[in-house]
Amino acid sequence: MAIEIRNVEKTFGAFTALGGVSLDVRSGELLALLGPSGSGKTTLLRIIAGLDHADAGEVSFDGQDTRDRAARDRKVGFVFQHYALFRHMTVFDNVAFGLRVKKKAERPAEMDIRRRVDQLLTMVQLSHLATRYPSQLSGGQRQRVALARALAIEPKVLLLDEPFGALDAKVRKDLRKWLRHLHDDMHITSIFVTHDQEEALELADRVVVMNHGQIIQVGTPAEVYDHPADSFVFDFLGGVNRLNGVIEAGVARLDGKAVRVDGAVGADGPAVIYVRPHQVELGVAPAEGVPEGKWSARVSSLHAAGPVARLELDLAGRALEAQLSRDRLSDLALEVGSWCTVDFRHARVFPAKS
Amino acid sequence: MTAAASTTATKPARRGWAFLAPTILPGFGTAFGFTLAYLCLIVLIPLGHMALRAADVGWDRFWAITLAPRVLHAFYISFGCALAAALINAVFGLVVAWVLVRYRFPGRRLIDAMVDLPFALPTSVAGIALTAIYAPNGWIGALAKAAGFKIAFTPLGIVIALVFVGMPFIVRTVEPVLQDLDAEVEEAAASLGATRWQTFTKVLLPAILPALITGVALAFARGVGEYGSVIFIAGNIPAVSEIVPLLIVARLEQYDYAGATVIATAMMGVSFLMLLGINFLQRWTRSRHAR
Repeated sequence: MAIEIRNVEKTFGAFTALGGVSLDVRSGELLALLGPSGSGKTTLLRIIAGLDHADAGEVSFDGQDTRDRAARDRKVGFVFQHYALFRHMTVFDNVAFGLRVKKKAERPAEMDIRRRVDQLLTMVQLSHLATRYPSQLSGGQRQRVALARALAIEPKVLLLDEPFGALDAKVRKDLRKWLRHLHDDMHITSIFVTHDQEEALELADRVVVMNHGQIIQVGTPAEVYDHPADSFVFDFLGGVNRLNGVIEAGVARLDGKAVRVDGAVGADGPAVIYVRPHQVELGVAPAEGVPEGKWSARVSSLHAAGPVARLELDLAGRALEAQLSRDRLSDLALEVGSWCTVDFRHARVFPAKS
Repeated sequence: MTAAASTTATKPARRGWAFLAPTILPGFGTAFGFTLAYLCLIVLIPLGHMALRAADVGWDRFWAITLAPRVLHAFYISFGCALAAALINAVFGLVVAWVLVRYRFPGRRLIDAMVDLPFALPTSVAGIALTAIYAPNGWIGALAKAAGFKIAFTPLGIVIALVFVGMPFIVRTVEPVLQDLDAEVEEAAASLGATRWQTFTKVLLPAILPALITGVALAFARGVGEYGSVIFIAGNIPAVSEIVPLLIVARLEQYDYAGATVIATAMMGVSFLMLLGINFLQRWTRSRHAR
């Protein structure tokens, strides 16, 4: 089901949670709402589900306005951040709940309910725990029960609020992959909220980046990562170095040397050059001087655990983080205190905020 | 005993049965000894002594006194009214707790304070106040009289007095559990298609049931033991509105110590059985939660 969101506004007292948000969710896609806390992403999700009401604007499902449809009539599966399982019910009864509360005319026979719940529990790989209570399950298992419960009503839209937020790193990674496979099998229009850029980029078909109640950018993970709309998106989508420079006659300069930048350069004046750590190119320092168009920096610390080495560099008094492979590091033979040349493979420049 | 217990506590962990599982908390001997002595002096010895005194009269007289129609009726009134009051409170106390937890309205703190009033008030004060209102010449009593029935000086009056003293027990036991209930759970039920009523009966009520039963048990126990507020409004007409505690006092005033002791012992026995039953009920509801 496609969802159209038009100029939705929501305030809580003096706080503007959503300031006129418009978004089209395509049928069958897996969409991520990404943003820092307080950016309005959960509020938007709750408005789609009918758990909150927009002050203005409209949300329509397949062209039908949803204003007068209560949460229970929307056929929306909602997975809560803290699962919100019914503690006094077994896993089985939790999953069966949505089927058992249906009106008599629509309610499946008890045998069909049984079959459907068993099917769902098999799908989330929890059939062996059907008679357990939620308190006897681990976080990852509870999450999957919550998902099975939401899927039981055969929702047209699946909404997930920080689905992996309360899980430890290993479980989170596994569940992420699993959810992606599940979505590929079922093709339910799904929207999930996250503040974890890695999660959004890895899992979603499209990413919606939000900040201060506004949508900043919408695009595929590659689009938003490679072509961030502004400095906020660039900053939010991963570790970044911010270097103060200037724009002079349409050229970005750092310490007087020109920096090759992607995209628009902008008007002359003070500017901030954004470089991701893995786009910092290091080289062996020559015996004398600095090669044309490069900078010189000193290694101030070095962390080499795992496949990637992280270096902190001192570039004329500025801290600069760089990432490179362990092999490259040993080729360069860098140590703390040694000098190297610095170049930027890709960089973006945005005007400095006054 | 102190020395023996403390060596148990400090000895390294042994396999098999031990009086006390190894613990790093000190002072078990002293605390346990005190607990035993305290319970003996305050509860066990007085009640045991009373049972012995009751046994002095012999089985035949014991049953004759207990099964006398007036005594039996007093038992019926005492436990029946306490149960009725506890059940009434279960419904209305729950509503009060719900309103106090879920809504923010002007005067909420005042109502919150009023709930505790029956706790703090001497019960005889409550008795006089209630009688003044519910007696046939009181405000509400007059209305009832016009409608053709009496409230004060009947079992109905007793129930009202017991509702009054029992209410805070329900409200105060249910309130924290309601507060703990996540609003998300209700939202989850709604998003799964449940109506408000289904959400209440299938999700909320089961979650607060253990607390509600505890509250009912407390209110019931309080109602059975209540004396001060009841004697004014009950009128104490033998075989109509006479409660067991009053009957015991009446026997004492007639210097019938044996009779008083026998009735007291019977009362203790019934109360004990009731408590046992309630405890089993609680264990049953709790086991269904499997926390």
